[in-house]
Amino acid sequence: MERRVGSPARYRFDDRFLFIIVPLFLLDAVLGGWAFHYRHFHPTGILVYVCAALQSMPIIAFIVVLGLYLAEETDEFMRALWVQSLLWGTGATLAVTTFCGAMEKYGQATHMGGGMIPFVFYIAMIASLAVNTWRNR
Amino acid sequence: MKNRLRVLRAEREWSQADLAERLEVSRQSVNAIETGKFDPSLPLAFKLARLFGMTIEEIFSDEA
Repeated sequence: MERRVGSPARYRFDDRFLFIIVPLFLLDAVLGGWAFHYRHFHPTGILVYVCAALQSMPIIAFIVVLGLYLAEETDEFMRALWVQSLLWGTGATLAVTTFCGAMEKYGQATHMGGGMIPFVFYIAMIASLAVNTWRNR
Repeated sequence: MKNRLRVLRAEREWSQADLAERLEVSRQSVNAIETGKFDPSLPLAFKLARLFGMTIEEIFSDEA
């Protein structure tokens, strides 16, 4: 009997992640590197909105791809694991950004760029998913 | 919620993966249900009952 390694929804999630999220991340990294290289680059007008929107695209796309996965996943236990991980990611992001904000307010830390926030979310969510998967192996 | 899934599965000499294949869920789901970490939804409970030719009450019982 053929074994199910992952559900069709999970395969679709993996494909979407690889072909949508990863290129957007690369674009984000290129933009970030470019902005770092040209430190005196201060876009004006519509270019400001385009640059800001491009940098927020990976997180928007990730949430959309994740939403599609949760809608398509028929394995309710796996869906529950992912929702738990999503909550951990959200909670960790709120906690870390609040902590860093307070540290900055008290002059004990430098400003954490907004571009770092999605990474806190991804790391916390992936770590939670890995722990959940290991606990239920 | 307690269940007899492990016993019923063993009687048929099915592995967790075999049962997961028949239920169209992951092996982790079967393991979570068997160990009581996860209570299945009503549709999945009906699917299990149909698969074993039993009623839901014969497979699952309230712990209270």
